[in-house]
Amino acid sequence: MKKAIIGLAVLSSVAALTTGCGSSNSNENAASGNTASTNAGATNGSDEKFTIRLADGSPGDEVLSVWNKVKDMYEKAHPNVTVEFVLQDPQLYQTMGLPSLLNGENAPDIYFEWAGDRLKTRVHDGFAADLTSYLEQDGLKGKFSEGNFVGMVYDNKKYMIPTDSQVTNVIWYNKKIFSKVGITQPPTTWDEFMADCEKLKAANYIPITTGNKDLWTAGNWNAHLISRVVGEQAYADAMELKSPFNTPEFAKAMSYMKQLWDNKYINDSVNGINDDEGAALFFNERAAMYPSGGWFVSGAKDKAPDMEYDYFNLPTMPDGKGDQGSVIGVLEGYVVNKNSKHIGAAVDYLKVLESPEVVTMLSQAGSSMIAPGSEPETDPTILKLKDMMDNTKSVVSPPDTGYNLEVADALNSATAEVLGGVSTPEQALAKLDAKVAPLKK
Amino acid sequence: MHKFRLSPYLFTAPAVLLFSFTILLPIVMTFFFSFYDWNGFGTMKFIGFDNYVRAFHDHIYLLSYWHILIYIILTIFLEVFAGLFLAGLITVKLKGTSLFRVAFFTPVMLPMLVTSFMWRFVYNSDFGLLNAVLKFLHLDSWTNVWLGNPHTALYALCIVSGWSYAGFYMTIFYAGIQRIPNDIYESAYLDGATERDIFFKIKIPMIKNLVEVALTLCILGGFQGFDLFYVMTNGGPYNATEIVTTYLVKVVFTNGSIGYGSALAVVMTLVVVGVGVVLNMLKRNGNETLEY
Amino acid sequence: MEMSMRKSSNSAAFRLFYYVFMSVFSLVYFYPMIWMLFSSFRGNSEIFNKPFSLPAKVDFHNWSKAWQIGKMSTYVMNSVIVTSLTVVFILLFASLASFAFSKLKFKGSKLMLLMFVFGLFMPMQSFFIAQNYIFDHLHIKNTYWALILPYVGMGLPLAIFLLKAYLDSIPKEMMEAANIDGCGNLRLFWSIIMPLLIPSLATVAIFSSLNSWNELLLALLYVQSDSLKTIPVGLLAFSSKHVTDYKLLFSALTIITIPMILIYIFFHKHIVSGLTEGSLK
Repeated sequence: MKKAIIGLAVLSSVAALTTGCGSSNSNENAASGNTASTNAGATNGSDEKFTIRLADGSPGDEVLSVWNKVKDMYEKAHPNVTVEFVLQDPQLYQTMGLPSLLNGENAPDIYFEWAGDRLKTRVHDGFAADLTSYLEQDGLKGKFSEGNFVGMVYDNKKYMIPTDSQVTNVIWYNKKIFSKVGITQPPTTWDEFMADCEKLKAANYIPITTGNKDLWTAGNWNAHLISRVVGEQAYADAMELKSPFNTPEFAKAMSYMKQLWDNKYINDSVNGINDDEGAALFFNERAAMYPSGGWFVSGAKDKAPDMEYDYFNLPTMPDGKGDQGSVIGVLEGYVVNKNSKHIGAAVDYLKVLESPEVVTMLSQAGSSMIAPGSEPETDPTILKLKDMMDNTKSVVSPPDTGYNLEVADALNSATAEVLGGVSTPEQALAKLDAKVAPLKK
Repeated sequence: MHKFRLSPYLFTAPAVLLFSFTILLPIVMTFFFSFYDWNGFGTMKFIGFDNYVRAFHDHIYLLSYWHILIYIILTIFLEVFAGLFLAGLITVKLKGTSLFRVAFFTPVMLPMLVTSFMWRFVYNSDFGLLNAVLKFLHLDSWTNVWLGNPHTALYALCIVSGWSYAGFYMTIFYAGIQRIPNDIYESAYLDGATERDIFFKIKIPMIKNLVEVALTLCILGGFQGFDLFYVMTNGGPYNATEIVTTYLVKVVFTNGSIGYGSALAVVMTLVVVGVGVVLNMLKRNGNETLEY
Repeated sequence: MEMSMRKSSNSAAFRLFYYVFMSVFSLVYFYPMIWMLFSSFRGNSEIFNKPFSLPAKVDFHNWSKAWQIGKMSTYVMNSVIVTSLTVVFILLFASLASFAFSKLKFKGSKLMLLMFVFGLFMPMQSFFIAQNYIFDHLHIKNTYWALILPYVGMGLPLAIFLLKAYLDSIPKEMMEAANIDGCGNLRLFWSIIMPLLIPSLATVAIFSSLNSWNELLLALLYVQSDSLKTIPVGLLAFSSKHVTDYKLLFSALTIITIPMILIYIFFHKHIVSGLTEGSLK
């Protein structure tokens, strides 16, 4: 669902969407009283008026309209509570936006976060409430399997209510173009992939389009490729600055990006245009393949409703040391602020969000959820993605959600340089090591 | 005059206080921030000059000064000298020149943001005007990903800057040339001077002061450029158009390094002040020897 | 007499060459704007496939769509509010201060002036980090004040120098006469100085308003709520949302541009003098 790992070009766009709070104090608000456990007793069950703030990156218009419905549902059931969305531009939210919200006045009660390293930081900084007992309550219990909590558990405590597991990179392809040039099966190995690119190029298509101006697009894809070649652990070690980037294995991994540029398999504007502009080449059928994440499905619904497309996971890399069936992705969810005065009410709100009818509304708006909906998910592509994520042995973390942002930026810059043909893998990696050197402390 | 001793301070107080609060105080605070390792909200850790040491080893930061230097040198030609040339053209003694003056000045009126977006489209490699023109002229091999190619991006930006500001400098020079007394021209024309002679021997020497001012503006203004770079390339591709201001915004607002960003800002402030002082001295020296 | 002179110095060949050259040159100079205007009437595929042709029809549908989707009316209103308040404060504060600097002697005036010299060429990147911090802590971010205060602060130095230069040229005798008449400084300021300053105030108003109208970085950093965004930031947000809907983007750009060009055509004398004097001080 989240396009939030994505960096758009703009720094900021917070939209605080508040509407008037419920006017009458009906007796319905007693319903929230039964969820009070730790420190919610002061608010729940009384008529005291208060506001719950939810912070997130701004979603598309369709998802936002569902969120507003959820807000209405909740406020109707709790007339003394007003829900306020604090929505920021996704890139801002991911970088400085959320930390400054949490440290500011009117800190959010609920906020969106990615599982793993980022959540760990929030727990450490005292911004995440222990939700273990709440997850045992009605309305949340039984909705998730233990596997849905990977990266959300610290000291045996669960700190997040999962929303979605997001595949952040697969290779989307245009079925019609593939069959036109005689590709019957999506490639499964890198060499097949290259052969298909050659066919597409010969037929005057741009084989692969990427808009990498903001660096995370190709960066995400290449991080997956790197982990396949050097191994998941070696990738993680380098990202955590435990080992250098400039090694023969990394250079070999990077050389595949060079291969794409040297053979003109990628749009020559790759680093000059942004993700949406890159996607436009795919949507107007000038390019045959477009590496992107699971959020592509909702984007395609908007921009090219008639297009016949499918995806394949990154093909297996020759002599790769990593798991060749790995998937790059991230688990997402909502965290309740430990400093919130209304933890119980915040969890109540999330229960509404995870309720079957809302889950179905959200999935129809193109934002899939882990929790079961009132109607089973029918979109075959979304089902296939879910299936892939559930069945893989290794989930690789994208650079920009799993690790330090400056290291991620440095790796993504190196990828861009190699993919754009301006540096050799060795040059780019040496520069990368120099860039991250001051970060080692 | 000295009856109301308090009053001068009351008259200046609003301006001085507001300026101190919004500009001076933050500059001083930035200086203090620069000695800390700090992300803006957590604990501040004093680290002495470490941020400055890091700045002088920061390849991209140093590169960004090089880019500014290129940008300033090129815009001196594309803005100031081009403006001078245009001013010469529109002050030729012929009818209808004011129409051309309007045409060249109009870009100055566009918000820089609009200019930047418009030119991003002109340079777009897929549907942009520039590549379309080249294809129309059967110069397909000249087409380029203008903003995505590190060898062309900075120059492409300089051209936009020139397009946008040449008219501005033209107008300054035009105002100066208008003030040249008519009889100087008249005697020159009577002596059979060509327009070229008049441009180089009368117009330029007579507005020499204005040219100096324009150069100062162009050089100091070069450090302040942001909108154009931010919208068109945001420093990319591969930092090929990274300038101090865009890099600073990235360090502070993307990476969250307030301490380090403050050090970069302090260094930039000192550089700008230094350049300003040097320019001022040059101007003073020049005026002493070449007064007329 | 003058006519005959022109003829004698500029031959027919020269004139022909001049007009042809200048017409072609200014057309090329102007063309990106014409292209932007034409593209705003086209469909997205037309923009890609027929970049040169005239638009099939002049259809303002794109414009109205961009106006609505882009919430342009909100942004325009915000820009008007911020800019007009900024200009009022600059004019008021700068004329008071320049009067004191020019006509009253007092201790510290040199130092204060030096401070404003400094402000003349400081890039905003020298102070925005801490300014952001201060505004954050005073809770004025996400209000109009977060823009008006720094815009006034940045606009003051130039305004003060321009007005001071003008006041310096007014003979002292005029004021002394008024002083002898028993005028206090404040009366002097309102009844004698202000009326004299009006033409210069117009100049200051023009460049101050253009600066705050176009300012991007601080507006980007200090205002997050959509309902408070000014035109540049609104346009940026709009473009990042509709980055590939080129016809809408071209329309939005055109809508923002046309009033600026109209204002220029109607007030070009004032604008030109405002801009040039503003920068030459």
